[in-house]
Amino acid sequence: MKNIRLIARMDIKAPNLIKGIQLEGLRVIGDPNAYALKYYEAGADEIIYMDIVASLYERNSLMDIVEATTQDVFVPITVGGGVRSIDDIRELLRAGADKVAINTAAVARPEFISEGAQIFGAQCMVLSIEAKRRANGDGWEAYTDNGREHTGLDAVEWAARCVELGAGEIMVTSVDQEGTRKGFDVELVRAISEAASVPVIASGGMGSVEHLITVVEEGDCNAVAMADILHYDRMSLPEIRDAALEAGISVREVAA
Amino acid sequence: MHTNPLNDELDLSKYARGLNAPDTFYGLPPMIEFCSTCVISNQRPNSAVEFKHNKNSKKATIRFDENGVCDACKVAEQKHGTIDWDERDRQLRELCDRHRRTDGHYDVLVPGSGGKDSVYAAYKLKYDYGMHPLTVTWAPHLYTDWGRRNHEAWIHAGFDNYLMTPNGRVHRLLTRLAVENIFHPFQPFILGQKQLAPKMALLFDIPFVVYGENEAEYGNPIEDTDTAKRSFQYFAGDDEDVYLGGESIAALKGDYGLEAVDLEPYLPADPQRLEEKNVEVHYLGYYLKWHPQSCYYHAVENIGFEAAPERTPGTYSKYNSIDDKIDDFHYFTTRTKFGIGRATYDAAQEIRSRDITRDEGVALVRRFDHEFPERFADEIFRYLSLPESEFPVASKMFEQPIMDRAYFDALTNRFRSPHIWMYEDGEWKVRKTVHGDA
Repeated sequence: MKNIRLIARMDIKAPNLIKGIQLEGLRVIGDPNAYALKYYEAGADEIIYMDIVASLYERNSLMDIVEATTQDVFVPITVGGGVRSIDDIRELLRAGADKVAINTAAVARPEFISEGAQIFGAQCMVLSIEAKRRANGDGWEAYTDNGREHTGLDAVEWAARCVELGAGEIMVTSVDQEGTRKGFDVELVRAISEAASVPVIASGGMGSVEHLITVVEEGDCNAVAMADILHYDRMSLPEIRDAALEAGISVREVAA
Repeated sequence: MHTNPLNDELDLSKYARGLNAPDTFYGLPPMIEFCSTCVISNQRPNSAVEFKHNKNSKKATIRFDENGVCDACKVAEQKHGTIDWDERDRQLRELCDRHRRTDGHYDVLVPGSGGKDSVYAAYKLKYDYGMHPLTVTWAPHLYTDWGRRNHEAWIHAGFDNYLMTPNGRVHRLLTRLAVENIFHPFQPFILGQKQLAPKMALLFDIPFVVYGENEAEYGNPIEDTDTAKRSFQYFAGDDEDVYLGGESIAALKGDYGLEAVDLEPYLPADPQRLEEKNVEVHYLGYYLKWHPQSCYYHAVENIGFEAAPERTPGTYSKYNSIDDKIDDFHYFTTRTKFGIGRATYDAAQEIRSRDITRDEGVALVRRFDHEFPERFADEIFRYLSLPESEFPVASKMFEQPIMDRAYFDALTNRFRSPHIWMYEDGEWKVRKTVHGDA
């Protein structure tokens, strides 16, 4: 059975950790570094920082936060939002990031994925997909700008294409489920997992451990990103980990 | 006769750069200023009594104090500071106790679209304050798909609802006239929205009407927030000096082929009957600390409200004012007339609500405020067109009854106040924005 990573997803609007619902109605949660440390100490397998307004404001402001976090957080950190160039990637890696997540820049110029993968390795290039179920039921459309701008791309085809281009991992966020605590879009996650030969991170909608179990078992993902459930202290990482283990999900066992 | 704006001779010298005292339209303040704490400009008109609104109407505008702070920001300060919300909550409970009925009759009328604010209002009154609401909806010009789904989700969450959908031909005609005369495509909606609830209150004998937030939160005089009751001037009056779409009742009947019954939905309730029945109209925003974002959260959580599947053109948001396709054009026209687009309104509200900073607001205005609303444009132009086959009388009042993009662009130019706009290098530019001068 494959090992499932538990990832704390932290959406950032500098200088704050923030959270929305359906990627809208953003609320300030607090200091990102403090939360990152807390999640690291609670046994998060990875941290994801997403500057979700980077494209909206056309800025890139995660560098300082990443640098501060890597002083005392020693799990892999993925950074996304506003990563537009090879230089942006280089600087983020230098600041301590282990991987970068790309969305808008890849939609604008898919070769960017290949270029990044050639220089830094595919393991470094995470494709971030914001997917929303089409109203006519015909699959999912990929979005940019925090679920605001259409791309016209079919999310599943897009995932497959980017894997060919060199993406080493995919994080798929359901715009419909994000922040709602109503569970993941399991069909979406499964469709992406089937289309992509690389690890898939399910994001958006976790309100209980049952949701995690379902998306792992039925969505066939390799990692689960969680935000609301952690930020609002609805459950702690050890509680989630224990419940997952009990359900037979292979997560890393952390010494208490 | 409404002449074809494509034949207008526009005097571009009025729109040159660097004029000393360019003309001002609509009685707006000649010097453009921006609130020092949000992003709204001093050009923002207060809510008008829409059924008196015509070509010659002058605007009263938002007040700024000596420090350049707008009234809306001051209301926000009171909300975050001096108001005793526990006391207001007690007042609301008392008010509800006074009106509550258990005899099988509705006891409160809640007007709304099924947007986040009306969802919140009805839900709170029913489930937290033990009331028995009847909800009433004045239909949008053209529902968005998600707006319709949200309206349905609202009703399915436990509410009776009457949906009043005005006669499409009359509504289209009035909308075209409102665009042609006062460049205000949203006006027929506002008219109906304001008149419907008091009239339904009379019809159903529910003398307690509760709206959501107070318009003073967006810049009407701060004194308006001192009382919970909505001023009757917005929805009651005599028919005599009533204008709809900027046309007198006499003209609508005489020149445009409408009958008295066609106008009925838009006309104010009889003030005397409202007095007799003691109809009280209150704002929930007086009693509960109104926060649009929290209403959105509440609506998602409790009725499965969905945000729009894309941001609204002209702004960044996708959670507010998303149910009417004509809304995109409403904000396009406010930018034409007052220099204030949708992003400005949204950002100003979110700054006051402390959801975003002023710097962020300025960046959002810079990026989105100017956008032309392409997404529903063709549908809206068809809606605004009055072909002879459908409008045998009214179409004769227009040199060109069919609306298209070129017509609309030319019409837009009639409503650009020279103190706001300049024309340079083949481009229209706003002279002064919150992010700098053109």
